Amino acid sequence: MIKFLQRLISNYKEYFLLVILSIISITLLSLNNKPEIKRLRTFAFGNYALLNEILNYPLSIFKNDYSLKELEEENAKLMLEISRLRSKSLENEHLRSMLNFKDTSSFSLISADVISKLVNKMQGNFIINRGSADGVLIGMPVLNFQGLIGIVVDTAKNFSIVRTLYNNNLNIAVTIERLNIDGILNWDGNKLIIKNIPSTYEIKVGDSVVTSDFSTIFPPRIPVGIISKREEVPIGLLHNLTVKPFVDINSVDNIFVLKVIPSKQINQLEMNLLKK
Amino acid sequence: MLWNFLKPILIFIPIASIQLVIVPLLSINDINPNIIVILICFYTLKYGQIYGTLLGFVIGLIFDLISGGLLGAFMLTFTIAGFSAGYFYNENKVDIYTTSYAFIIVVFLCSTINSFLYTLISSTDKDFNIFYLILEGSILPGLYTAFFSLPVIILNSRKAFV
Repeated sequence: MIKFLQRLISNYKEYFLLVILSIISITLLSLNNKPEIKRLRTFAFGNYALLNEILNYPLSIFKNDYSLKELEEENAKLMLEISRLRSKSLENEHLRSMLNFKDTSSFSLISADVISKLVNKMQGNFIINRGSADGVLIGMPVLNFQGLIGIVVDTAKNFSIVRTLYNNNLNIAVTIERLNIDGILNWDGNKLIIKNIPSTYEIKVGDSVVTSDFSTIFPPRIPVGIISKREEVPIGLLHNLTVKPFVDINSVDNIFVLKVIPSKQINQLEMNLLKK
Repeated sequence: MLWNFLKPILIFIPIASIQLVIVPLLSINDINPNIIVILICFYTLKYGQIYGTLLGFVIGLIFDLISGGLLGAFMLTFTIAGFSAGYFYNENKVDIYTTSYAFIIVVFLCSTINSFLYTLISSTDKDFNIFYLILEGSILPGLYTAFFSLPVIILNSRKAFV
């Protein structure tokens, strides 16, 4: 029996090796959210990112004008301010104050450079050159002067991982601004879509999409994109909306981390869409 | 033997940086070449299937850790890519496979398998379009990667004549 097994293993050792290594990989895939794994990954990318930063330096030398950075920061702040003012014009100010909405009049931004990108059809991730030492925390939104880019999902001392809108593990509660309709925005590998919106609403191509007041991971009213297409769902009175983001996400180099973190009280509820 | 295993890992370190920093600039409609697969295929064709499977696993583990992606995803796909490339290994035809257009075909096949599996693993969408997965998620990245394997053939064929 033992000899038979030995012969079997020696004849098919490549397959046995493949099966064992595949099992290890799949096991690790299922352990992605374990704190030990997160620590290991934080240590690895935090150290390796230094090399990426060196390689990124000659590429960014031509576009790293300090005054340009200042202008971009100013633009980002103005974009947030405009967004806030637009929402105020759409809502009743008195009602907002009565309902004790949070005042979002001051925005603190941390400027950062994208030093590496893991870009593929499903998993859009950036590594940026700001980390916990700069005050970046997990859960902080990432944007530029045009609009929302993503969210910080992991931080090392000097570097952070940003999960972009082009990542199908990120679901965002959004509002179609003109009609105040809420939905969930998700990347399907090809486009950003808001699924199952009742076709009774008169949504137009070109309508602006912002983060929702109900979002547990983003502050409200950050510009996301515009409706670019309406798709009828064959069954029922629903349709899917395609959203074109304001930001050309795959070509961004300079970004800003918005120094706000979602309420821990809300996060403790089962509403947090970041947790799968 | 140890040096044979360490050499591709040392080469992998700068290649991983190129993959993460420079390759995204060459992205066409979110389709990227995966130059790490070229490295795995090249060394698998040189040293065999078991070697390639192990190399894919180790490189996948390191790449998952440094890229900030899903830990285990590239481990699995690179392991299978290395294993697939191993089917083309022939001790007597190492030079033919690494200096001719056959190398492009091997890279294309392994990269297509790698992209297909990675897209499948990292997708959480239940309404996934299989046609899209095969074409945009597998074949096109495979073709793009195969194109990037041309310099490897040119450099190797020159070495062969020296």
